[in-house]
Formats: sequence, structure tokens, C-alpha cells
Amino acid sequence: MNSVFVRTLQDKRWFILGWFIGFALLATVMVVFYPSMRQEGTLDQLMATMPDAFKGVMGDLADLTRFDTYLASQLFDIRASLLAGIMAIILAMSLTVSEEEKGLLRTMLSLPVSRVSLLLQKWLAMVAIIFVTLLGIVVAVYALQGTVDAAITFAAMTKLFFMTWLVLVAIATITFAAAMITGRRAIAMLVGVLVMAGSFIVSTFGMSVDWLADYEWLSLFHYFPASEVVRQGIETNSVVVLGSLTAISLAASLIVFRRRDVN
Amino acid sequence: MAPVWSLQYTGAMTKNTTTIIELNGVTKKFGVYAAANNISFTVREGEVVGFVGENGAGKTTTINMLLGFTSPTKGTVKLFGSAMRPGSAHISHRSIGYASGDMSLPEDMTGEQYIQFAMAQTPGDHSARYRELATVFRPQIGKKIGDMSRGNKQKIALVAAFVTNPKLVILDEPTSGLDPVMQDVFLDTIRDMAAHGTTVFMSSHYLQEVAEVSTRVLLMKQGRIMEDLTAEQLERRGGKIVTLTTKHAVTLPKDDVVIPTSTRRNGYYETSFDFIGKPSVLTKWLSGVTGVIDVTITDRTLEHEFKSVYESEVGDE
Repeated sequence: MNSVFVRTLQDKRWFILGWFIGFALLATVMVVFYPSMRQEGTLDQLMATMPDAFKGVMGDLADLTRFDTYLASQLFDIRASLLAGIMAIILAMSLTVSEEEKGLLRTMLSLPVSRVSLLLQKWLAMVAIIFVTLLGIVVAVYALQGTVDAAITFAAMTKLFFMTWLVLVAIATITFAAAMITGRRAIAMLVGVLVMAGSFIVSTFGMSVDWLADYEWLSLFHYFPASEVVRQGIETNSVVVLGSLTAISLAASLIVFRRRDVN
Repeated sequence: MAPVWSLQYTGAMTKNTTTIIELNGVTKKFGVYAAANNISFTVREGEVVGFVGENGAGKTTTINMLLGFTSPTKGTVKLFGSAMRPGSAHISHRSIGYASGDMSLPEDMTGEQYIQFAMAQTPGDHSARYRELATVFRPQIGKKIGDMSRGNKQKIALVAAFVTNPKLVILDEPTSGLDPVMQDVFLDTIRDMAAHGTTVFMSSHYLQEVAEVSTRVLLMKQGRIMEDLTAEQLERRGGKIVTLTTKHAVTLPKDDVVIPTSTRRNGYYETSFDFIGKPSVLTKWLSGVTGVIDVTITDRTLEHEFKSVYESEVGDE
């Protein structure tokens, strides 16, 4: 009970509950709208008149006919990733620079807790919190899919959930690392928002802007093509890239935080 | 008035053989500003060191380096014989209790939860000590820290700092939120711990409390240690504060006079000064003063020593 990991989870219990409910509500809305979205024809005709960039934001409407690809393109690929990305940045900031600014990091470090252990326990808590909050989507989808006469396989849900979690862990860890390395809110926020918004913009508008398409590989969302994940499975390369980004960020934060001054 | 510098206990004085804290040529710069400038001192086992200085003198910067929160720009900090580095500070912290007046505690935890959390980080059974401290400090252990007054938060921080029976206690303005009764409890606890061999390093603005418990005082100014005096040295230095009301202006003794002031009120001259020379010289001088209306002579305190360091060097700044 008296570890930094458990204390962090306990401290963040209302955050976890709130975001769990938020994701569950988002998933509920998306599931409830599925019957009207899957009616072929009308939306397809409407979307055909829209610019490519708008199609990027709305997702691939050819995916709407199947429940799993509908969830992939309309829930996991855009809305959940964007919302959860914001949550990941808020979470990473609150566990790092917010605690340092309040003096809580000093209080923890005045106890016989090593900096490496403190950082790793906080990071593990962050990863666990992202995992638990995202379960809100899974719970809502499985609870409500019967009401719309649709179903997603456990395997497809697991793939989507895992890749969403992996992308979010990468975003959160990069923000977390920027905060632990510098101890500065402005820098950590800038890095987090750049990664999140940059990835979103590059992935969304890369469809219609030729020169931007060349840089699409820089977007973290590039490594989570949700509809493709449902259809063809998880690409090992994507997991390696996201995992490596996370590992490098975490290692950098460990190396620097062991030595730097704590405010 | 009782001599301020008389030792309140003697147990610690017999044990000061092992070096607990050692700073050697320590400088800490923030940009070009040196918050601590070439500081060197050692603290031996069982000493109770009062660490005093005005705001911004560099006390907290020094304490931050002692605890490994920050690294010195130059020089070495050693605790228990080992170099203090941020990455390995936790090893020394097993033997250190720390509390500060503005310490942030997790507001969502109760006092009990935080103390248990702090106890759990140091191996051993600390329950008996916890009961002792809970009895004397009477912290509101069942209440959420966020709902506590500053004084009650401070009690929680102090109990958490003392509960593992640390070899070294580092305190930064530890009584700033405590009421007078709790300040006395705190001082008694420090005396008791010191009597059992605990080394105490305490910064404080309350010079009287520093004087009451310290076996040694370090006085810091503008990032430098200006005075490093044992209780005996301070007692020997001692001196008197003389306040004199006379009909005529007086000529002060030539030597050993600190912080002289002179005002004229209701036709009389009021002269005040600190005298740090031999009492016989003061007595002889007083006997030569004419037209004396009133005279008071009291012992100098740490506060006067503090003021003399700060005020006598104003011209140097």
C-alpha cells in the first residue's frame, strides 16, 4: 500500500473514474449512432462532395458497413485517440511538473526513495491509468453492442485497444520525459502538444496535401491505422516504432532525472 | 536574565567524534548569482547546529545540497562519509529525517496515511516511536492533510521526520507554523533526540529557539558562512547590551562597542550599544560617565550577534 505506484493510483482515483466514464460515454454515443451510420448511400454521397482533408477528419466511410471497422475508423482512429491523447498529456503533466511545482516531488525525494524508483513507479502508474481509463470504451461497447444488433470480436477489440494504448503510452511518455528532464511546465506542455497536434495534423491533412504526405511517417497516428489493424492485424514495425519511442524517452528521462536539480 | 548560551544538555557533546556532514568549498550558482559561495564546514555526531541568516542568505540552497535535491556547482558535499549525489541520495536518506516549514504534503492523504507512508520507506518497526510522537505532538492523524491548518500540517511533517529515529535531522524553518506550546514540544523533542546522539542541523528565523537548543551556530550572509561558533565560544563572546540615559552626551568606549545608537528625548540623551569587551573595562567607563539618569545592562543574545554581523557590515555592501 505504501509504494509510490499505489499512492499515485490512489491519488488519481477520481481522474481515473472521470476519464473512464468519459470514454464510456463517447463509446456509447458511437455505438448508439451505428445503425444510422451504416445505412449505405446517403453519407457516402455526401462525403463524396467533401474535400479530402475533411474526409481525413471523418474517417473512411467505406468502413461503416461493418461494426468493427466502423468502431476502428470512427471511434479508435479519431475521436478516442484525440481525446485520450489530451488525457495522456494532462496525466503526464500532473504526475511530473505539477508535483514538482507544488513541492511534492521534493517531499517524496526527502524520503529514502531513489529517483529511479520514483520515476519508474510514476511512469508505471501513468501507463496503468491509461490502460484502465481506456477500458471504459471496451466496457461500453460490449455492454451496448447487443442493442444495435452488432458485434465486434474479442480479437479485433484487443488489437484496437492495444494499439490505442500503445500510441497513448508513447505520447504520454514523451511528455513525461520532457517534464522529468527539464522540470519546466512550458517545455513539457509544448512537447506534448507538438507531438499530439502535430501527429493529428500530419495524419489528417496528409491525405490532401502532397508535401505533408511525405512526412506522414513522423505522425504517431501513422503507426495506428485502426481500420487496417482490424482487417490485417497489427504490424510489427508499428509496435517496434512506438515501443522504441517510449523506451528511448523513458531512458532519457531516467538518465537526466537522476542528476538534475529538483525545484 | 539567564545566560542564553548555557548548554541545555551535555549528552551530545561527548559523542562528537564522527563527521556526519562535511562541506568542502561548496558553491552553488544560479546563472551568475552564487546562492552559496565557497562554503566549508563540518558537523559532528551529536551536535545540534543552528543555521541562521536573513532571507536569501543561502540557507535553503545549502540544505537542498545537503539533501541531494540539487548538486553543487563546485565543491563536495559529504554525508556520513559518502559524497551526496542526487542519484544516490536515497541511501543517505535512510538515516535522515527532514522537515521544512513550507513542506508540501499530499493533500489527499490523511495524516495517518502520510506518516505510515513515510515510515514504510525505512525498514524497521517504528510503531513505538510513532506512539510516543503522537502523544507529544497530538497530530490530527485522521484528517485529510488538505483540510488541516498550517500548524497541523507542520506537526505531521515533524512526526514523519522524527518517526524513524534518524541519525541526522535536517530542519528548515521547522516551527514557522507552530503555536508556542508546540514550539516548546518541538524544542524538548530536539533536546531529547540530541541527548540520544541524534545530530541536528536546523535553520530558523527564531533565534531564541536556535539559541536554546544549539551546541553550535553557523551564521550565513550573502552565500557565505560569516560565523561558526560553538556554544562555549558564543558564551565567552557574550557581551552586554548597555542602555544609558544621561543629561549630557557621552563619549563611548574606544573599543569593543557594537551597534551604537544615540537619540535625544525630553532633553535627555539616550545611548545604547553592545559591549563585547571585558566587564572591568565597561565598569570603569561607566564610573566615569556623569549625569546618569538611568542605566540598564542585559546579556547579548544570538539575535544581537546576528544583527551585529548584518548591521556592522552594511557599509561593505
